[in-house]
Amino acid sequence: MWRLLVKHSAEAVTRVATSPAQLPCNRTLSSLVPIVQDRIVTAISAASPYHSDGDCSCSGSGSNGFSASFKKYSTLSNLHKDTPDNNLKTSFDFTPANYKKIEEILSHYPANYKQSAVIPLLDLAQQQNEGWLPVAAMNKIAKILGMPYIRVYEVATFYTMFNRGKIGRYHLLVCGTTPCMLRGSREIEAALIEHLGIARGETSKDGLFTIGEMECMGSCVNAPMIAVADYSAGSEGYSYHYYEDLTPDSVVAIVEALRKGEKPKAGPQTTDRIRSAPEGGPKTLLSEPKPPKFRDLSQV
Amino acid sequence: MGPLSGALSGHLRGQLALINRSKSKDACSLLYRSVSSFCGDSAPTDEQADEGVGGSRQPSIESSTTNLASTKSVQQRRSLLEKLASDSTFVGASVASRRQQVRRNSTASPATAPQSPPTVPPSTSTVAPTGRVPVKLHSIIPDELKKDMIEVFVDGQAVNLPKGMTVLQACDEAGVDIPRFCYHPRLSIAGNCRMCLVEVEKSPKPVASCAMPAMPGMKIKTDTPLVKKAREGVMEFLLLNHPLDCPICDQGGECDLQDQAMVFGSDRGRFTDMKRSVVDKHLGPLIKTVMTRCIHCTRCVRYATEIAGVEDLGVLGRGNAEEIGTYVDRLSTSEVSGNVIDLCPVGALTSKPYAFTARNWELANKESIDVSDALGANIRVDHRGPEVMRVVPRLNEDVNEEWLTDKGRFMYDGLKRQRLALPYVRGPDGRLQPSDWQGALQEAARALTSVPGEEIAAVVGKLADVESITALKDFMARLNSQRLYIEGAEGQENADIRPSYLFNTGIAALEDADAVLLVGTDLRSEAPLLNVRLRKAFRAGTLRDIAAVGPADMDLTYPHEHLGDKAQDLSKLTSGKGGFAETLAKAERPAIIVGAGVLRRPDRDAILGVVDRIAKQAGVIKEDWNGLNVLQLTASSTGALDLGFVPGPGVKKDAPPAKVVYLLGADEGLSKFVGEDSFVIYQGHHGDQGASRANVVLPGAAYTEKEATYVNTEGRPQRTMAAVPVPGNAREDWKILRALSEIAGVQLPYDTTDAVRRRAAEIAPQLERLEEVEVSEVSMAARTAPSKASAGPLLKEPFTRAVPNFYMTDPISRASQTMARCTSMFKSQKEVDAQEDWLLHADWGKQKAAKQPAL
Amino acid sequence: MAGALKVLRHVYDRIRGQGIKETFVKAKDQGFINSLLDGNLFETKVLKGEGKLVGEDKLGNKYYERLTDTQFGRHRWVEYKDNTSYNASTVPPEWHGWLHYITDYTPSEIQAFTPFYSKEHKANQTGKGAEHIYHPKGHFQAKDDKRTRWQRVEPWKPT
Repeated sequence: MWRLLVKHSAEAVTRVATSPAQLPCNRTLSSLVPIVQDRIVTAISAASPYHSDGDCSCSGSGSNGFSASFKKYSTLSNLHKDTPDNNLKTSFDFTPANYKKIEEILSHYPANYKQSAVIPLLDLAQQQNEGWLPVAAMNKIAKILGMPYIRVYEVATFYTMFNRGKIGRYHLLVCGTTPCMLRGSREIEAALIEHLGIARGETSKDGLFTIGEMECMGSCVNAPMIAVADYSAGSEGYSYHYYEDLTPDSVVAIVEALRKGEKPKAGPQTTDRIRSAPEGGPKTLLSEPKPPKFRDLSQV
Repeated sequence: MGPLSGALSGHLRGQLALINRSKSKDACSLLYRSVSSFCGDSAPTDEQADEGVGGSRQPSIESSTTNLASTKSVQQRRSLLEKLASDSTFVGASVASRRQQVRRNSTASPATAPQSPPTVPPSTSTVAPTGRVPVKLHSIIPDELKKDMIEVFVDGQAVNLPKGMTVLQACDEAGVDIPRFCYHPRLSIAGNCRMCLVEVEKSPKPVASCAMPAMPGMKIKTDTPLVKKAREGVMEFLLLNHPLDCPICDQGGECDLQDQAMVFGSDRGRFTDMKRSVVDKHLGPLIKTVMTRCIHCTRCVRYATEIAGVEDLGVLGRGNAEEIGTYVDRLSTSEVSGNVIDLCPVGALTSKPYAFTARNWELANKESIDVSDALGANIRVDHRGPEVMRVVPRLNEDVNEEWLTDKGRFMYDGLKRQRLALPYVRGPDGRLQPSDWQGALQEAARALTSVPGEEIAAVVGKLADVESITALKDFMARLNSQRLYIEGAEGQENADIRPSYLFNTGIAALEDADAVLLVGTDLRSEAPLLNVRLRKAFRAGTLRDIAAVGPADMDLTYPHEHLGDKAQDLSKLTSGKGGFAETLAKAERPAIIVGAGVLRRPDRDAILGVVDRIAKQAGVIKEDWNGLNVLQLTASSTGALDLGFVPGPGVKKDAPPAKVVYLLGADEGLSKFVGEDSFVIYQGHHGDQGASRANVVLPGAAYTEKEATYVNTEGRPQRTMAAVPVPGNAREDWKILRALSEIAGVQLPYDTTDAVRRRAAEIAPQLERLEEVEVSEVSMAARTAPSKASAGPLLKEPFTRAVPNFYMTDPISRASQTMARCTSMFKSQKEVDAQEDWLLHADWGKQKAAKQPAL
Repeated sequence: MAGALKVLRHVYDRIRGQGIKETFVKAKDQGFINSLLDGNLFETKVLKGEGKLVGEDKLGNKYYERLTDTQFGRHRWVEYKDNTSYNASTVPPEWHGWLHYITDYTPSEIQAFTPFYSKEHKANQTGKGAEHIYHPKGHFQAKDDKRTRWQRVEPWKPT
């Protein structure tokens, strides 16, 4: 009930705020009604697709049924909201093959510390369930591990890599950390946004792509880069590839290849280099390595 | 702590070895006193001891030092105890707990044995290792731990404390106040609020004192500019997202954040961004949430996980989006959930029934006793004028620590509804008509004098106090009636041997048990705070094995072996072989808890016979340990049994209902006592079943309206204080009986409350000594156990819950709207949980208790 | 002393700027002459010197500001409509913020945001008679019948 109220009031505020004629002076309002203004500013920033403040506006959590406007100033996206395909009544079960995997995973941990397997199991469930974790999957994992449900929810909400709302089959994670940003990750993201016609955190209408943002994935030398999580074939066909040395054109090409069901080659896209090796082949250590110098002990 | 009265010792000579058990928080002072009186220099120490006692009675919920030992290092304490046990200087060759040592000391107090040498040589550990007499008598470092002490310096002042304690505890010990939000002595250490930063010499940064172990020779500084700056910085961060809504916040005025912001807060912030907003959670009808105020100290999460044992709160999200919540919509289903209101240092979790009804500075308070169950939790009744506004717990380590059940905390709104404010007399038309006192008393006296004594019965209700029971007992004796019954303690018809109806181990001492057998009792609904104790002992590692023969599908919040739900399952344990019987026999301090509900069964004698056999087999009763307990269900029953309010020898068990029945607040199961044509006199404070059936209604006072004595299940007399006046024309209960006796022509010989109490003390001398428990070493087993033949067979009926609905047990809680809301909402939540097979705590069943990680 | 000097300087400045007759007429119009009999008003009018009239609220209180030659934080003041029994609670909330330096915007400069739950501002009603005063529930003069009939306990009624 309360959530509905919040949502509706926020929508009302959004409506007010987006009609510029009624927008009073921000500063004055803030002295009178800081809370309402809070919402207004949130709504304003949400109205523009490019509010890239870069904090906590990561993957999947936003696809929980709420508009992205709440992300910055509200914790609403932490909460579960019942939807027809995600509520306490829905069921989830691992496939027999995955049960074998679970057994293997659990064998890594002492029997009385099997709760430690919660992250691998959440990951497995996410792979199996088209890239997102319904509450039923978390409950199932809690039961397998014999831990209270809330302890699993805590982990799943803490890590932004766990999506608690439906996402597209291909999760396009644009690196937004400084090296990539300097090398043009904003243009990469803008190209994706323009090409797919969706904002960050949203899923394209055909259900194929979700644009998300990730922090540094460690291939700064090949910046800018994106990671693509492929949930189109369950946990068996799951892949997670880096596409590096991107340009706005090449990232669109990757998206189009994925759309056709192809598997574009991972790694550097616009250069001929091998992984992070220099372009055009090695530049150093070209000669035969010299043997280490030995003192001629007989001369001593 | 007075000397034992000669009369009592004489009365119980040879039978009972009386041990005067004191409140453990008084233990140190007691010890000092007894030791110093032996040593001959008593004056200064005594004075200080008295101060210590007085200080410990302050209604301080946030007392930081008082529970140092019990939470922090139970394990360590235990190992030291074992070390001490092997030491031959101690009388108890088996492990003697601190409490018991204290008891022994006081038994040999100079009054009873003026010339005898002390039974325990004064341990050197009572004096600090430095040789000086310790000044700080509120220190509760147990003497056992004083052997292994380290010295640290707090602001240049040397402090001795046991190894393993934290810097914050060292500062507390030195009397230096450290601001804190997340640290709580009864919860695990989180170290996430960072408010307790102090400077430690040679440490490059300020350290969080609550999480830093004190090291020998450590030099701690708490008043340097660095510390001030660090704390101011932390406070500024805490206030970034904290709304400035103190004027409309229920915590305002008693808020830790508010108080500490007065010291470390700035008058302006440098934060120019927007404050975040957090969605409020629906936690049920008791707890109101304003989550935007939350500062993420995680006390509530730790409380729910560690103390309440209901894991449904957690920390969701991360960074700026972090919040406390349940993720999915669900209510908190714990019976002790209200304590998070006290724990919350800000106004994020506040009391829903109390919301916006009063500001705390408007309230006056009286220290009182909770009567909602037999534990007698210590409470503070906050009232504004003639209205009870709220009830909060008071610190008493021996009874309720600092917790209170939801029923005790929230049933106070029942005090304002369905009250009997006028005497009523049933008129010729069969309807109750308002009357004046004289008319009502004359009508009652006429009925009482018109029948012979054996046609009069008296039933004591669940909330009756010792004074009114005394008056009723004397009144009935003068009317030649022997038919005396206690509601809620049916079947307990023999009060000759006190231990046969007491919780002999003691509530606090139950923590020392290492194996517990629950017989026919669902502790979680009958005595939630006792259940909290057991869970605490289990988590501390002292209590390993718990088994239950009782109602099926009990969720006790800790792992236990459910041996069955029939009495026959109990008799399997008599062999002493295999399974839990062996565990019990091997245990050093085994305990058996028999619920009073069991004693209501027709086969109670047979069950008690089986329990006796198990107790003998397992050696539950030892020289210094009495582990055989009866858990009473109501606040009145122990007091009534102490006063011998049981049917006299001439009363037949299957006698027809009496012609005149006097109900002293008895409302349940009336059909047993009241016949179709009985004349019923109801004296009580609520219009419930009793008043509806009554022919004469005499309005009495509720527990917040009278100064009355209640005896809890371990036999501890405690006294309530009158906080508010009685409503309308009601009167204090014993006065009504006194007036009625005069009109009936059998005047009771007392006119003052003191005189009634003296009379009660004549019947049961222990009732005079408040807050003290007199423990005998004779147990239930000492009474003439019924032979197998006379006891009859064990019935096949399974055990049922003695308290089917925790939230509604007595007239007050039945009149309470809050409790009605709890009943309906938690019932539906529990149904949902059962349907979903909801896991509220770690899957204890599959993991052996011993393998649990160290907690 | 300093105050008196300040007054004299004000008077001197005015006479020098406007001539003696004009000064006198203006002082009478602006209530300077009346203020001589009222210490507080005198302080406001004369010691403060001349201020810029910023606005006037619905009750007729006038709000002044003087940005030069005044200590910051004492540069805004109100002159109450009723000189004989003035009351600080007659300052409405929208002016309160300006007067207390919470905001720099006068009500005319901002579109005042009035929440749906706000009531119209009223000055303190103490001394205006029983019907204006707050009475606790249960008081025989409490406003509505429900509050008057309030009892601290709800008595049981036999059926």
